[in-house]
Amino acid sequence: MNKILTIARKELTAYFKSPVAYIVLVITISVFNVFFYLIIDDNREASLRDMFKVMEFMFIFIVPILTMGIFAEEKLTGTMEFLMTTPTTNTEIVLGKYLGSLTFFTVIFGTTLIYYPIIEFFGQPDLAATLSGYAGIWLEGALFIAVGILMSSLTRSQIVAAISSYGVLFSLSFSALFTKYLPSPAETLVIYAGTASHAQNFAVGLVTPGDLIYFLSGIFACILLARLSVENRIWQ
Amino acid sequence: MSEVSFEIRRGEIVGFLGQNGAGKTTLMRILTSYLPATTGEVIIGGEDVRDNSLAVRKKIGYLPEIPPLYPDMTIGEYLRFAAQLKDVPAARRREEIDRVLTECDLREVRNKTIRTLSRGFRQRVGIAQAIINDPELLILDEPTIGLDPVQILQVRKLIRNLKQKRTVLLSTHILSEIEQIAQRVIIIKSGRIIADQPLDALLNTSGSQKKILIRFKGDRQAIERTLLDIPNLKLTSVDSMEEVHSMELEIANSHDNYNELVGKILGGKGRILEVRERREDLENIFVRLNLADPHTRV
Repeated sequence: MNKILTIARKELTAYFKSPVAYIVLVITISVFNVFFYLIIDDNREASLRDMFKVMEFMFIFIVPILTMGIFAEEKLTGTMEFLMTTPTTNTEIVLGKYLGSLTFFTVIFGTTLIYYPIIEFFGQPDLAATLSGYAGIWLEGALFIAVGILMSSLTRSQIVAAISSYGVLFSLSFSALFTKYLPSPAETLVIYAGTASHAQNFAVGLVTPGDLIYFLSGIFACILLARLSVENRIWQ
Repeated sequence: MSEVSFEIRRGEIVGFLGQNGAGKTTLMRILTSYLPATTGEVIIGGEDVRDNSLAVRKKIGYLPEIPPLYPDMTIGEYLRFAAQLKDVPAARRREEIDRVLTECDLREVRNKTIRTLSRGFRQRVGIAQAIINDPELLILDEPTIGLDPVQILQVRKLIRNLKQKRTVLLSTHILSEIEQIAQRVIIIKSGRIIADQPLDALLNTSGSQKKILIRFKGDRQAIERTLLDIPNLKLTSVDSMEEVHSMELEIANSHDNYNELVGKILGGKGRILEVRERREDLENIFVRLNLADPHTRV
């Protein structure tokens, strides 16, 4: 556990030493604030449901930027060889990196928590629905981070890692929009595999074991695959 | 790699020599468990690299060809990170970091960001991380590659100091480096070991023949005629400057009494000024072995 925290701390520190992370942080918070104002001004409703959709969409764009270098950069600069020849297990390396990225993501996510007291000041929001909505978005972000880390573990190129992450995240998020062109069994499968239906349930205050299992098993599968990818050094 | 087999005793300093692409880095990566060997076994300090990789990694310190550094960290932060990953106990961490900073002469720059360091300093930081866990076996892959002459001397001096306490495995294609640091040489070609000998023995090996140089004053023609009567001896070159003549002779390794041999050659027709065995230098041996059949092992 100590080594997981050591690697997580190193990743987190690296984010705060990188200008890219600050740019992502500032742009994301600015976009969120603008949309929050526009949505509240337009809807006149004490609810963050539409705001969660904006956050979900924004996280698709920022997560690959945060995760693209996690493994790809280490491989390119040769520090991966250092990490993997220390007495540290591959699982500790992958979990440490995941935890570091997830913590930075949580910092960005945490800045949006201010919206609840604001809407509460002006109206009577549904606390349970808001909390479950936040939980859903956080879980979705945690899955996105796991996907990004998996993609980064497969390549030495940060660009390839980012583009492949975008590919997977767009497929997960928007494939459900195209299900009308698919035969019935495939339609059900694509809807289940996509994040939209699961996140939607959280946004309306519906927390189901099925949705929780969907996100947690997705995260677990990506971390497991990333570990296998790190372990298989011959073809890399 | 194919049919690679060798054993290194505790405290030995072994140099891996080979041309670029010979397999030195691959071999080091297998030893450090970074790459798995498809067949065969590697035992380090009694532990099998495949079955007990974590235990092996605790015993080794490794400097890859490109020093594995994080540019945004300071030297102190990087060494602390390395110490944590290498299981240096928390109570001893500060002491160990101070030790390697002193050993690698980095105390003055410990708070500098790695990005701002010169190549020589970066190499020393790389060595510092390799020895932070006080390893039994230190594996250095091309530790002086890309350094300027002053930096090369500094890093060699550092390695010479380190070898007093540890087993060191060093790969390079700089022959003089091996001559200055190593006690034993393993030469690799196309993934095979083509020579594995103590440095002195390798330098004295040049097949079944050896060369001696004789400088003398006297009747050169008469002496050359005498040479024709002596078995297992061949005149390879002759040079004269005023009255002093130099002859290089190739003789059988069995000739070990030079006084008797030279007496027979000169036979009262000249006066000896110098008799010297000409050792083949490492560069020649390296080139000769690399030109030879890769299946021949010295």
